[in-house]
This record gives sequence, structure tokens and C-alpha cells, in this order.
Amino acid sequence: MKPVSANEATDGELIRRTGDGDHGAFEVLYRRYSRPVFGLALRRLGDRGRAEDAVQETFASIWRAAGTYKPERGPGAPWLYAVARNAIVDRGRARSEPAVETPEEVSGELGPADRAEAGWTTWRLHRALEELTPNERIVIELAYWSGLSQSEVADYLGIPLGTVKTRTRAALARLADVLEEELG
Amino acid sequence: MTDTPDFRDLVGDDLTPEERERLERVHDLLVEAGPPPELPPALIDPSRQLDAPVVQLPRRRIGAVIALAAALALAAFLGGYLAGQNGSEKFSLFHSEPLHGVGAGRSASGTIDIGKLDSEGNWPLKLIVHHLPAAPKNGYYEMFLTSHGKIAATCGTFAVHGQSATVRLNAPYDLRRFNGWVVTMERPGSPAHQVMLTTA
Repeated sequence: MKPVSANEATDGELIRRTGDGDHGAFEVLYRRYSRPVFGLALRRLGDRGRAEDAVQETFASIWRAAGTYKPERGPGAPWLYAVARNAIVDRGRARSEPAVETPEEVSGELGPADRAEAGWTTWRLHRALEELTPNERIVIELAYWSGLSQSEVADYLGIPLGTVKTRTRAALARLADVLEEELG
Repeated sequence: MTDTPDFRDLVGDDLTPEERERLERVHDLLVEAGPPPELPPALIDPSRQLDAPVVQLPRRRIGAVIALAAALALAAFLGGYLAGQNGSEKFSLFHSEPLHGVGAGRSASGTIDIGKLDSEGNWPLKLIVHHLPAAPKNGYYEMFLTSHGKIAATCGTFAVHGQSATVRLNAPYDLRRFNGWVVTMERPGSPAHQVMLTTA
């Protein structure tokens, strides 16, 4: 059977290899997940320094605990999310500032369950972005997060408008594929 | 950002209903999730995460930091005796730090010329950059000092419109408190600092 390269391997396979001490597999996992973990930590902790610490703790935990991952219990992404969430919660508990008192009034903000769902959704999306080619990724970033119109994206990148639209559509399709297939 | 792209404008009208629905779900997720943050310099290298929850400087950085710290200590002792000329404008060069590109700025490079400490406690800086991409609309570049790989203090903002640029910046800090520099791309409305150049 042809061996699967680390870059093509599923998250679950990479976790299994990491559990066997495979540094290459760990590095691929890191490239796929470091930004999603950092984003999750930043949203939950609201502080870049503590978020950085949480990322380091997450990947140190992954390295140490990868051997306990059981593929038959589910795909790798939820397992990684759980490890990250635990590290972030621990980092949140470790904060030195006094805790903010919980307001008694009902607020319009998301409750814990909604926040968890939103966190998981964002995590999956940010993870899927790592699968885009640089050409696909830049058109998505410029269109969605830089406030540029498609024509402005074309001007900015110096490519025809039709190419921008083709790449954007391809990027959205690839994201849909990754979200549906890899992450379940 | 408040500007939400129009889905129809992005993908056109010639999709099957099934594909349109599939892509529109992703579109909604992108709008809802917002951009992932750029990794800070301390988190770029995966090999640094294996052993330690504490940020470790890579070996070549440690050498550079020691060299810079030693140079800065010497400068403080000599009171800026070392002075040089660089270009037609008066700029007393004390020390230079090379920058290399990372991430989206991997083709870029640069140099930070650190001038002589003035009597007010300012370190004049001359930043020379090459091949930095133009910042997006309303975006700009910013240079920060870093401490143990983390962004710590700004040295100013600037724009780039060509292959190379030279800008004057300033560091009103005790530089011995810091370990390096990064140049980041800043986008309006985004808290992320996208690192483009680093001394690490």
C-alpha cells in the first residue's frame, strides 16, 4: 500500500503518527491548526499574551497526549478542539486579574452553549482556510476581510476580473469540500 | 469590517441551485467567523512548541539578541561616541539589524538602521524595506519591538508604494528591554498584526 504523506493525511492519522513521536506529523498538525487555536484563544481570553500561552499549551498537550487518541471514537478535529478548549479554559483560570462578576440581568449576548457552537463553527472554518492555495486564499481574504470589491481585488492583484471570480468560486468550493469531508 | 461582499457578485449566476446553496453556506460562515488572526512571531515555528510552555528563542536569535544587547550597552557607555554617516541626511548610524520576510511577506527583506541615542531618550530609526506588497485599501505597515517573540511596543507606521522604501521611525524606549523587531501589515477594523518582516 502506498504510504500517505503527512501533508495529505487526515487529522486523525496525523494525531496517531504524532502519538508515535513523528515530528513531521506534528508540524503538519501545527500548520493546520495553530491559527484556529490562536483565534479561538484570542476570542475566549481577549488577551494576546495569554492566547499565545494557550496555543503553546495546546500543542504541548497534543504532543504529550496524542497517544491516547482513539480513531474509532471519532475524527481528529473534535479531539483537537477539545484539547485546545481545555488548554484555553486552564489559561483563563490562571489569569491573575480578579474575576468579573456575572451580571444578574439577562443579556443579549450568546449563552455558553451558543458560544461553544459559534466557537466550533469558526474553528472549522479557520481550519479549512489552511487547505486553500495561496492564490485562492488571497482572493477570499481581500473580498471578505479587506472590504475590497471584486474589481478592486483584480486591480490590487493585477489579474483579470474573471480570474478573481474563478478563484473565488474555486476557493468557496474547496472550503465546502473540506468542511463536508474532512471535518464531518 | 462592515462591508459584507455580495454573494451573487462573488460567484456569478451560472451555478446549479445545489452548488449555489453549498457555496452560500460557506459564504455565510466566512462572514460570521471573520478572519483568523495572524500568528505572532513566537508561534510561527512549530518546533518551538514541542517541549516548552515557555517561549524559547531559537538559537540564532539568541546570538543576535546577545549581540544587540552588547552593542546597546556599549552605546550607552560611550554616550553615542560611535557615529557614522549614511546617505546625504545626517543620521549617526550606531547599529544595523537585518529583517527577513515571513508569511505573505516572504519575498520581502529589509534593514533597520539604529541611530545614536539623543538627549531626550529617542533612538532614531531608519527602516529600509524591499519587495513589501502594497497594503490593502486603508491598510498600512507598522514596526514593533518584540519581547521574547511577542509584540511589545510600536515604533511607528508607514506606507509603501514601490519596490523599495526608506522611512524614518523612532523608538523612545530602553531597547535593552526588547529582543527584536517585526514589521506588520495592519488592516482597518482587524486586530490582527500580520507579520511580514522579522529579525527573528
